[in-house]
Amino acid sequence: MAKLLLYLTLATSLIPLFSVAFSPENPTDRRVLVLVDDFAIKSSHSLYFGSLTSRGFQLEFKLADDPNIGLQRYGQYLYDALVLFCPSVERFGGSIDVASIVDFVDSGHDLIVAADSNASDLIREVATECGVDFDEDPAAMVIDHINYAVSNFDGDHTLIASDDFIKADVILGSKKIEAPVLFQGIGHSLNPANSLVLKVLSASSSAYSANPKSKLSNPPSLTGSAISLVSVVQARNNARILITGSLSMFSNRFFRSGVQKAGSSIKHEKSGNEQFLTEISKWVFHERGHLKAVNVRHHKVGESDEPAIYRINDDLEYSVEIYEWSGTSWEPYVSDDVQVQFYMMSPYVLKTLSTDQKGHYSAEFKVPDVYGVFQFKVEYQRLGYTSLSLSKQIPVRPYRHNEYERFLPAAYPYYGSAFSMMAGFFIFTIVHLYSK
Amino acid sequence: MVNDGTFYFDEKLVNMREQQGPLATTSSVVRGLTAFSSVITESLNLTGDKILGIAKFFLGIGIPGDTKNFFDQVDSLACLENNRVSIPLILSLPSTVISLTKKDSLKVKVNTVLGSHAPPLTVTLVRAFSSSARDNSIIENQELKFDPQDAVYFLDDLPASFDVGEYIFVFKMLVQDSEQQTVYATGTLTQVPIYVTGLIKIENAKIAVLDSDLGSVETQKKLDLAGESTVSVSANHLQKLRLSFQMSTPLGNAFKPHQAFLRLRHETKVEHTFVVGSSGKKFEITLDFLGLVEKFFYLSGRYDIQLTVGDAVMENSLLRDIGYVELDLPEPPENASRPPPQPVDPYTRYGPKAEITHIFRAPEKRPPQELSLAFLVLTILPLFGFIIGLLRLGVNLKNFPTSAVPATFAVIFHLGIAAVLLLYVLFWLKLDLFTTLKTLCFLGVFLMVVGHRTLSHLASASAKLKSA
Repeated sequence: MAKLLLYLTLATSLIPLFSVAFSPENPTDRRVLVLVDDFAIKSSHSLYFGSLTSRGFQLEFKLADDPNIGLQRYGQYLYDALVLFCPSVERFGGSIDVASIVDFVDSGHDLIVAADSNASDLIREVATECGVDFDEDPAAMVIDHINYAVSNFDGDHTLIASDDFIKADVILGSKKIEAPVLFQGIGHSLNPANSLVLKVLSASSSAYSANPKSKLSNPPSLTGSAISLVSVVQARNNARILITGSLSMFSNRFFRSGVQKAGSSIKHEKSGNEQFLTEISKWVFHERGHLKAVNVRHHKVGESDEPAIYRINDDLEYSVEIYEWSGTSWEPYVSDDVQVQFYMMSPYVLKTLSTDQKGHYSAEFKVPDVYGVFQFKVEYQRLGYTSLSLSKQIPVRPYRHNEYERFLPAAYPYYGSAFSMMAGFFIFTIVHLYSK
Repeated sequence: MVNDGTFYFDEKLVNMREQQGPLATTSSVVRGLTAFSSVITESLNLTGDKILGIAKFFLGIGIPGDTKNFFDQVDSLACLENNRVSIPLILSLPSTVISLTKKDSLKVKVNTVLGSHAPPLTVTLVRAFSSSARDNSIIENQELKFDPQDAVYFLDDLPASFDVGEYIFVFKMLVQDSEQQTVYATGTLTQVPIYVTGLIKIENAKIAVLDSDLGSVETQKKLDLAGESTVSVSANHLQKLRLSFQMSTPLGNAFKPHQAFLRLRHETKVEHTFVVGSSGKKFEITLDFLGLVEKFFYLSGRYDIQLTVGDAVMENSLLRDIGYVELDLPEPPENASRPPPQPVDPYTRYGPKAEITHIFRAPEKRPPQELSLAFLVLTILPLFGFIIGLLRLGVNLKNFPTSAVPATFAVIFHLGIAAVLLLYVLFWLKLDLFTTLKTLCFLGVFLMVVGHRTLSHLASASAKLKSA
């Protein structure tokens, strides 16, 4: 009986330890579901998966048409992120389909989709839901006759060496990627009206997407640098999606091979694939570029507690602390372009916050002389960072009757006339009563 | 059996916790097979093609990342290397891209699965044909020479009629020693796709603007596609633009590249791409602006012209900005389609906004202080005038009560009046109405009592004077 009690208490005390997976306090994903066409990919792409497991992710490999897979059970999501390395899947098994993947992303989880030259309609549909459009021709590949990778075996110029990266340190890391990235697969284009997708690796202006085996009679629909080879999407709920048209870009063979761009005499020993994909995976899984803002405070200059209402022409100070998640801990975020707005229907005051280099931002300004209900708004959106949207409501009142100027020089004649009247009255009382 | 000649075993999932992939299954089959064949005395009846297929499967998966898979692969290859059934020989090419400009020669290597030397063989190039004309074979039954230094078989000179293009070469190998022919598995025919690349001559490039009715040339300019110079032409919607050039292979034959695009890009970044058509060696494209006005969304202005020509076998693919054309198109009608929106540059989309500081309302205009002071003096002047006037009238204090008690009361009365006036001054300065009214109550009552005494005394004094 005592033993049973002991086991019960041990079991219940261990339960909190199992819930450390994914929370706003710890935004890096932990459990990742990897769907593959066959398990040979686990071995031929082992360097990429090894880089993920070495950073602490728990990968679960399943076949894409395995009937037992599911993203959620009893309303709770089983995984924090999904990796689709199954370009030729016709139908997902279990309870996964395009709608459930879209719901997964809508609830804030991350997604990596890799298509390839035999991409099925299902993968194309997933990509379209995420905001990118692959070339409709099923036999098309990206061909570039000027920026291809010199190779003894791929003579049809579908193996492309590209170094047209997006200029964003937060997505690609601070270290420059020296060697070009090898790519062999299909290209996609972005809708110009979509403001959430970014082209991370674009094709050069001589690239085009066509079937290498057949002649062209019409100009292809995707040409030039409108073709994107690798794109990312940052959704408004801060879920991040990586979409690319080449599964072989992640393979050990491409990671290890050297690369020489056609027309250039520089032979790089190792392609830039490993560095590029490791850094971008860090961004996709929220190890970089994830911001949180805490401790929003405002008070009158000179005081320290937060008033419930301000008066016009008050001097006030607004401060906020912003941190960036570094993969293991929250580090102070340093930047010089965070701005606060004092907003009622339109911003009356917009000021850049000054920082003390340790994540604390503050600004001082005078309350405008319009009264009403205002908001302190911080709308911070930068390339590759999660968006910060803070808003705090505060009313502003006009002057009270006793807060105006007390004695006006323009009123001196009136004061003078009143007091001279009083003095005259006093003299008059004395004189009138006692003079004869 | 898969189409590319590999052969492997796969396992159906039957109640096992761990599913073994085709690699593990095939390697266990190979291990069993070679162990069995090394023990028994008779030979097994297996065709060389199947052994070769299994060997190609193991070699085709590259380097597995999983250690167990890697062990399976290397172990199976070692079993196949010396087994008693038949040893597979692999034919491979160090390069499938042959460049005519660099005068590469065709090289073929034959090795066992783990890379050691093969016995003396004759390697024959049975057929070589272009992938577009499969029936017409250019080379037939050419034996390759052996270079013992590099251990390669090579064809030292491709025949002069070999032009650039994609070809398929079919090889056959035969062990020279007839006794050893059963020991080794060489397979029947091996097909390898080969790309022969070279420099393509592009010459006679011209750009011309034609009048659409007569077809007569209005302006014609020569283009130098090898250099960097640009030309500029202008046209309106009634004219046509014609670009023409000639392409030929190193041997002088006609060549049709996979990619021959002409791209026009407007200042607003709207782009239009056209394919340059060809007949034989001549490439020409004519843009009839009358028909293209709607496609161009009626946008007039400067269009940059870019020509891209490329092919897998072309060593000098080019992307050239030729120049620009000033196009004058008519005004768009009411229901014309708008040009598609262009993507916004992401770097400018996310910048800090301009700062806004509130402009406070200007305070109301007040009169200058000197004016107020002047009027203050003016208002005080009548007081002094009053005092002076009183003195002039000859006022005196003769009626002041002389006896002690009325005098004190009189003094207190006037002090009381002064106190009330002082209270008014204090109220103006800093008191609020409540304290003032409270004090005024007390002072008022006091003043009434004292004043009554004083005034009644004065009244009785003057009544006495009048009656006397």
